[in-house]
Amino acid sequence: MKITAIIKNINQAFEIKDLVQTFIVPLKDYSINYVDTFSLDDVKVLKETGKEIFVCINKNFYNNELNDLKSLMIDIDNLGINGIIFYDIAVVKIKSDLNLKTDLVWSQEHLVTNHGTINYWYDKGAKYAYLSSELAKDEILDIVLNSKAKLFMNVFGYVPMFTSRRHLVNNYLDYFNLSDKAGLKKIYKEGKEYPIIDSTHGTTVYSDYVLNILDENFFDDMYIVFNSIFISDDDFKRVLLNFKDNKFPYEHGFLYKETVYRVKKND
Amino acid sequence: MIKPELLAPAGDFERLKIALLYGADAVYVGGTFNLRANADNFTITEIEKGVKYAHELGKKVYVTVNIALHNKELNEIMEYLKSLDKIGVDAIIVSDPAIINLARKNTSLVIHLSTQASTINKEAVEFWKNEGVSRIVLARECDMGDIKTIKDNVDVELETFVHGAMCASYSGRCVLSNYLTARDSNRGGCSQICRWDFDLYEEDEHLKGEKPFTFCTKDLSLIKHIPELMELEVDSLKIEGRMRSSYYIATIIKVYRMVIDKYWNNPQGYEYNLEYEQVLRRCANRDSVPQFFNGYFGKDAQYYNGRVETTNQDFLGTVLEYDENTRLMKLEQRNYFKKGDNVTIFGPLDEFDFIISEIYDENMLEIDIVRHPKQIVYIKVPKLVKKDYMMKKNLTNNYNSSNMLES
Repeated sequence: MKITAIIKNINQAFEIKDLVQTFIVPLKDYSINYVDTFSLDDVKVLKETGKEIFVCINKNFYNNELNDLKSLMIDIDNLGINGIIFYDIAVVKIKSDLNLKTDLVWSQEHLVTNHGTINYWYDKGAKYAYLSSELAKDEILDIVLNSKAKLFMNVFGYVPMFTSRRHLVNNYLDYFNLSDKAGLKKIYKEGKEYPIIDSTHGTTVYSDYVLNILDENFFDDMYIVFNSIFISDDDFKRVLLNFKDNKFPYEHGFLYKETVYRVKKND
Repeated sequence: MIKPELLAPAGDFERLKIALLYGADAVYVGGTFNLRANADNFTITEIEKGVKYAHELGKKVYVTVNIALHNKELNEIMEYLKSLDKIGVDAIIVSDPAIINLARKNTSLVIHLSTQASTINKEAVEFWKNEGVSRIVLARECDMGDIKTIKDNVDVELETFVHGAMCASYSGRCVLSNYLTARDSNRGGCSQICRWDFDLYEEDEHLKGEKPFTFCTKDLSLIKHIPELMELEVDSLKIEGRMRSSYYIATIIKVYRMVIDKYWNNPQGYEYNLEYEQVLRRCANRDSVPQFFNGYFGKDAQYYNGRVETTNQDFLGTVLEYDENTRLMKLEQRNYFKKGDNVTIFGPLDEFDFIISEIYDENMLEIDIVRHPKQIVYIKVPKLVKKDYMMKKNLTNNYNSSNMLES
């Protein structure tokens, strides 16, 4: 397995570099669902860690952003990093059109749910896929056995569960003329609290729990992702130092919990 | 300018018939692998019946196959696709490209890309075109400029939603339902958490407005913008709502049909009529706005109403039969009405008002009040009506005749 960290700042990266094999680096203006983002200059600095680096450009891109996206992808290609994590299919098209060499990571959060589609994107240039966090364990095992792509999988941290173009917090504050002190917001329901963030590109809501499946065994070539969002640097480092015996409660998400859906009738 | 297709939802065969009768050019229905698992989805036999019915009218049926597949469904989908191909559906609407691959290799099915794929730019549209997709259902986040740019740059059919409920998220980028209710939103189990109320906190401070925090948005309505969409040459205009009633479908489709036809027949002389909006508003349970189409998605596109949604009781019943000799129509009741009420009967192309003077029960005994849902009654009407016409309260009068008579 490749221990992979979604980092918050450069200092943190250097602090934990000996504990990980891979960094995921969300790029400023091109990523969503992260609080802390990075410039390409930051990526150049991070390369000095000697670790594998995957940059994340996972927002939905509008027509007026495509030229910038193309320039960015060319610049990324020249950096010689390991991969680009994407959501918008424009990224696949641009890579193909410009004949860029950097591999892609298909990361459509909640849609990476079967090996057939992973293999489809593999054939289109996505040599990696980032599994949905809503999969059951047997589904993951089946995907591992049948996928051509190398796989990323969230194993620790808060999980994004909702992404909107709308500024839902700001809309509410505006509507009822409430002030914003720029602190961390949460929404509460039935005793549970869910972090919620408005950014330039929209709103993200996160799970009420810290996913922690570190008591599981992982495949050798799988990228297991530790997300540092909302986790203090100290706690995050402590988890990486001894992740089989960390102080966070185990929370298996959907690993052993099947989601249901119903079709009333069919042939 | 091209005349766009008017595409209607159909939750079952009855609503399919109503949608086509009231002016839809095509309908989309859900089968086994679609995102409305709790609708009365169609069996293959029912789809076949719907296809036959539509084709006899020169109209089309599309089938939504738009779930995000898991391995289990991946193994089951092939036979389903072959069945759809065999019965001659006009297209399938998919979001998972594994299905595109399977369909292209093993069937002759025409493929439309679902809005679930959140396609918002010309590069992505061109990618899908190159993959053999013949139509893209654009994301609801596209504004008019986005649609124009895509239309100007890629030669592929475009479909846009023009009316109905909205996802608060990018379609496909929400699993609130999975986390809060263990129902898989991307496989048809969405429990609409975005309509729930929450308490919003900043650190320990409750940010409390007059109504609770919610993701809930107003509905979409582009009735005012149909001429612009037609000038943009959008190929298909889609109404949301496979779980909506026959009355809703009939009303919405009739209004959009009328607007499309009026603009098509005389673009220079076309004038927007506020009455269209009023009719649409009456049969909705939330306010509606153009949403992203005008580039605005701020606070006034949200719906802060403490989960209160209006229920509509305008719809009084559906005509089952009409006897020209007795001038009695046989009607199945949907909401309370009584003798003396001022009502409107409407069909696909016509409507008229009258005051109910004679009502008979199934034994032809005269009655004054019809209070039971699905009660069958006979009503004397002054003009010819046809099967599947509908009766509603007369909305052009400001008074409520029922209340006036009771007081």
